[in-house]
Amino acid sequence: MITFENVTKTYHNGKQIVHALNGIDLTIERGEIFGVVGFSGAGKSSLLRCVNLLERPTTGRVLVEGQDITQFSKAELRQHRRRVGMVFQHFNLLNSKTVFANVAEPLVIAKVPNAEIRKRVMELLEFVGLADKANHYPDQLSGGQKQRVGIARALATRPSILLCDEATSALDPQTTSAILSLLKTINREYRITILLVTHEMSVIREICDKVAVMERGKVIESGSVFDVFSNPQSDITKNFVNSVMHTKIPESVQRLLSEPEGGNRRVYQLVFVGASATQPVLFQAAKKFNLDINILFGNITELQGVPFGHLLVEFRGPEREINRALTYVREAQVDIQEAVGYGH
Amino acid sequence: MGIEWTDFVTALEQTLTMVGFSLCFSAIIGLPLGMALVVTRKGHILENALVFNVLSTIVNIIRSVPFIILVIAIIPFTRLIVGTSIGTSAAIVPMVLSAAPYISRLVENAVLEVDTGVIEAAQAMGATEWQIIVRFLLPEALPALVLGLTIATIGLVGESAMAGTVGGGGIGDLAITYGYEQYDYHVMFVTVVILILLVQFIQTLGNLISRRIRRR
Repeated sequence: MITFENVTKTYHNGKQIVHALNGIDLTIERGEIFGVVGFSGAGKSSLLRCVNLLERPTTGRVLVEGQDITQFSKAELRQHRRRVGMVFQHFNLLNSKTVFANVAEPLVIAKVPNAEIRKRVMELLEFVGLADKANHYPDQLSGGQKQRVGIARALATRPSILLCDEATSALDPQTTSAILSLLKTINREYRITILLVTHEMSVIREICDKVAVMERGKVIESGSVFDVFSNPQSDITKNFVNSVMHTKIPESVQRLLSEPEGGNRRVYQLVFVGASATQPVLFQAAKKFNLDINILFGNITELQGVPFGHLLVEFRGPEREINRALTYVREAQVDIQEAVGYGH
Repeated sequence: MGIEWTDFVTALEQTLTMVGFSLCFSAIIGLPLGMALVVTRKGHILENALVFNVLSTIVNIIRSVPFIILVIAIIPFTRLIVGTSIGTSAAIVPMVLSAAPYISRLVENAVLEVDTGVIEAAQAMGATEWQIIVRFLLPEALPALVLGLTIATIGLVGESAMAGTVGGGGIGDLAITYGYEQYDYHVMFVTVVILILLVQFIQTLGNLISRRIRRR
């Protein structure tokens, strides 16, 4: 478990004082994949670096498994860092050393016997699928392969925590999802807590259990990925969610809606979780009441294994029927709200 | 008053002796000095403003003294170290003194080129400062270091020519005594050709080694 207690980080940039972290309170449970999302400069990398003290908090405490790591001596800190692996955006491999030597480095530093290093490194390279590249140099590898080496290296000392600093931001979408599924495997198979920071909401959607949204050194929203995605509170979070959920109504649909048409119609937005309930409810409503229901736009994604989506529907018919249908749908526990500005 | 081919051989030997020894000693001093200039600077792993400023100032002072003046000025010191102020070994002392700070700057440049991300990775895996220097900075900077040392070696070939002042001998001395002072253009021509070949050889060798390291 990692706990941030009122952590601040301030540094001077010339005459300017920058509050990289501005009072962070956050708990990351053991074994979860915790994502921190935010724009660049929001302080997420600083937050991440407080877990292995590559950046030292100005005030506040960082507890890892109950120990305040800011109080560690130099030797204790080095020991601590061996229990925390780190993966970087730009891989940070040694170009002068082979893939094997790169992965072996943390073990050499920890003075592990050679025979054991050999065994462990080959095991790791096998795990990340690069056993045949052991004697290659980093500049002979693709970006995705380099990141696999970075991940193998981070796992060498069998850490209990893995920090990922924009680990997929330098990779193409296909490679990104391969790396993400590797991270997920690591989390599930080795029960390693993963703390990752990213500016891509898709990364959060793909593998995270929990998410925190950061802005200007503060956590402005946090919770399970499911809750945050299905019910974002702040504008920034809504924007982030929008970037992957496409809850915004496309312009073509908007044009369609703005065209004046005969008859009474209203447009509603439905948020549904776990596909089962919604559609039957809608069709039932159409059958039961004297109105037409027209699905204008929809979007479904999977969040932590559960389908989750939005539907934009149009109710046409007499006002009274529409209201009765609404009540009916609401009674079925479906979240339905009028999409403002589209009704006539 | 003739000059034999064996004189050229002797001179070449003297040049190689002076350059070789002074390269060794100045690298032994310059390498740690250059590394210290990197790691003690602001924001680096062993930040120490006092050490950094003192070292940097000393390096600058020595580097600003013209070589020929350095040779003369440190004669008492040279005598103290090698027991004489005349001859090949006496020439090595000022050569080392002038090349070491130069090499330290070349080392500093080469090491600063190492991606800071590599240092961060090293720290993140729990490396000590010494391990960061030896296991990360040095190997990563090695190709650039070799090129830097190549530059320094060629500089030393040039300085060895002026070592004639203290009776150091060598190819350059031959060129000055016979060619410049006695207008023997044949000797001058041969010595210059030898120097060109020597410099060419050193640079090619340096490039080759650097490339080998980079593309091992």
